[in-house]
Amino acid sequence: MKTVSRREALTLAGAAALVGSGRALAQEPPKPAQIVVNHSGGSMGTAMRKAFFNGFEKKYGIRVVETSPADFGKLRAMVESGNVEWDVTEIGGQDAIRATKMNLVEKIDDKLVDRSKYPEKARSPYVFASSVYTTIIGYRTDVFKGGTHPKSWADWWDVKKFPGARSMRDHPTDNLEFALIADGVPVDKIYPIDFDRAFKKLDQIKPHVSVWWSTGQQPAQLLLDKEVVLATGWNGRFYDLIKKGAPIEIEWNEGALKQGSFVIPRGAKNPYWGQKMLAEMSVPQQQAVYASELGYPGLNLEALNFVDAKVKPYLPTQYIDKQFWIDDSWYAENGSKALELWNAWKLKKG
Amino acid sequence: MTRRFSGVWPAVPALILLFFVFLFPVVRMLGFSVEAGTLDWYAKALGEGLYLRVFWNTFEIALLVTAICLLLGYPLGFLIATTTPAWATLGFIFVLLPLWTSVLVRTYAWMVLLGRNGVLNRGLIEAGLISDPLPLLHNFNGVLIGMVHVLLPYMVLPVYGAVRRLDPALVAAAEGLGASDWRIFWRIYLPLTLPGIFAGAVIVFVLSLGFYITPALLGGGKVMMVAVMIEQEVRQTLNWPFAAALSAVLLAVTLGVYSVAQSFTRQEAQR
Repeated sequence: MKTVSRREALTLAGAAALVGSGRALAQEPPKPAQIVVNHSGGSMGTAMRKAFFNGFEKKYGIRVVETSPADFGKLRAMVESGNVEWDVTEIGGQDAIRATKMNLVEKIDDKLVDRSKYPEKARSPYVFASSVYTTIIGYRTDVFKGGTHPKSWADWWDVKKFPGARSMRDHPTDNLEFALIADGVPVDKIYPIDFDRAFKKLDQIKPHVSVWWSTGQQPAQLLLDKEVVLATGWNGRFYDLIKKGAPIEIEWNEGALKQGSFVIPRGAKNPYWGQKMLAEMSVPQQQAVYASELGYPGLNLEALNFVDAKVKPYLPTQYIDKQFWIDDSWYAENGSKALELWNAWKLKKG
Repeated sequence: MTRRFSGVWPAVPALILLFFVFLFPVVRMLGFSVEAGTLDWYAKALGEGLYLRVFWNTFEIALLVTAICLLLGYPLGFLIATTTPAWATLGFIFVLLPLWTSVLVRTYAWMVLLGRNGVLNRGLIEAGLISDPLPLLHNFNGVLIGMVHVLLPYMVLPVYGAVRRLDPALVAAAEGLGASDWRIFWRIYLPLTLPGIFAGAVIVFVLSLGFYITPALLGGGKVMMVAVMIEQEVRQTLNWPFAAALSAVLLAVTLGVYSVAQSFTRQEAQR
């Protein structure tokens, strides 16, 4: 009963928005005291507060409560039990596709969320593309001086020319792709992934990987502590340390691009205000603030106009031509298989 | 009859609470594993080499951690129980303080200490004792060190309790009869503190089986334990039936270990 009335309110609001913005304001569903936004936490939460949440609170007088981390299992449990705590949540790229298929998320209301300046492929009906990030090579500048660092995955695999302990992500995504590229597969021929070929190539690098990282902060910290001299990692985590003056730099070539995603869980308590939050997150000026903080640019193409020139070299969107996109839909289908093979490969001796 | 009931009733609210927030969800969760009406998920958990290996790794680590905790914890518990009150207080602070600190914080502290450029390795290299850093972190050693540190109090406290419960008159009598220290320990302390040892060992072993954060962070992603696999199935692949089957196997083994240990303790108590 309650859900129906909420749905009605949403439809009404949508209809009102069609009639005219003045009327829409009058017919907005009542303002809750707070909405809950779930995200990855850490420095990302700080940046989101600065770029989006403070403005939202001021504009609507609704408090934004933050929770973390992004958790697909929890999302499913919430929606299926009908007890949805989040109004908006971050979600992994391949998980977003699966969540859509499993009917766990609400449709994005294009009347409320303006994505007209987004690239065509970033306008999924159910998934809000929040930002672009990339998995690239981070290296110690005091070990690899004057451009002597590895500049491709073939270089990364060349442990004679580029000696030193490495760290890679404890996950098949990214690593399977990097292995294939190192083995000479052109980037447009990566998918569907040839598991045998990828794991055979990974066998070669395995003894030289001293840490398989599992949280985003790890690779940056490992480089900082000189626990390793080369690490794959998300560009924003390295950017954060570079900003603070750490002897670390980024090689962007052949990075694995991914899209950060947010969704509104089906049965969320304040779907209208969730949509309004996404609307706030699509404003180019605010996306520029976010990008400057974290190095993760939004997908509103106008946002780049508002970014400081000093920040631009650290945004992955500047290097899109040298990089490739992770195929989320391939992982939505083959993710479990890939993970199982990955675990088996990790357990293999040698 | 009435006396028995008067003992049971005050516990009823807690039992009801436990039923709804613990037993019922656990049973329901385990139900997922046989949802499809087949035992396929169990066949996968027990039949595929991958998962057997992970179960075996888990037991190996749990056994090692228990053994090390016993070797370190028994003398420590014994010392705290038999020393002067002032020293005992100090000992308690050292044992309990880590227990009140978050596992995550302690794990990160170990990373600072044990790393290639960590406090320990740098100190040893500067002292000229070693030339290359010891591999203490991001491997099996790191996991053992971290887990022993977290679990040691669970061994020390039962041992302490057992030693304190021991009647000092027995020791005095043995001394009076001319028994050596070693003999007093072997014939009086050890047999009478055995229940404490068992209790501590069972707690440490059982807790080890479900360890998650420490192996993930100190093992460099190279040490796989069952809890990590279950987490992957729950949160990444969303294969809840299989996660439930893995959990059920882990639970069954844990209960098995527990009941074997219980029967030992009971035999000891009856002697």
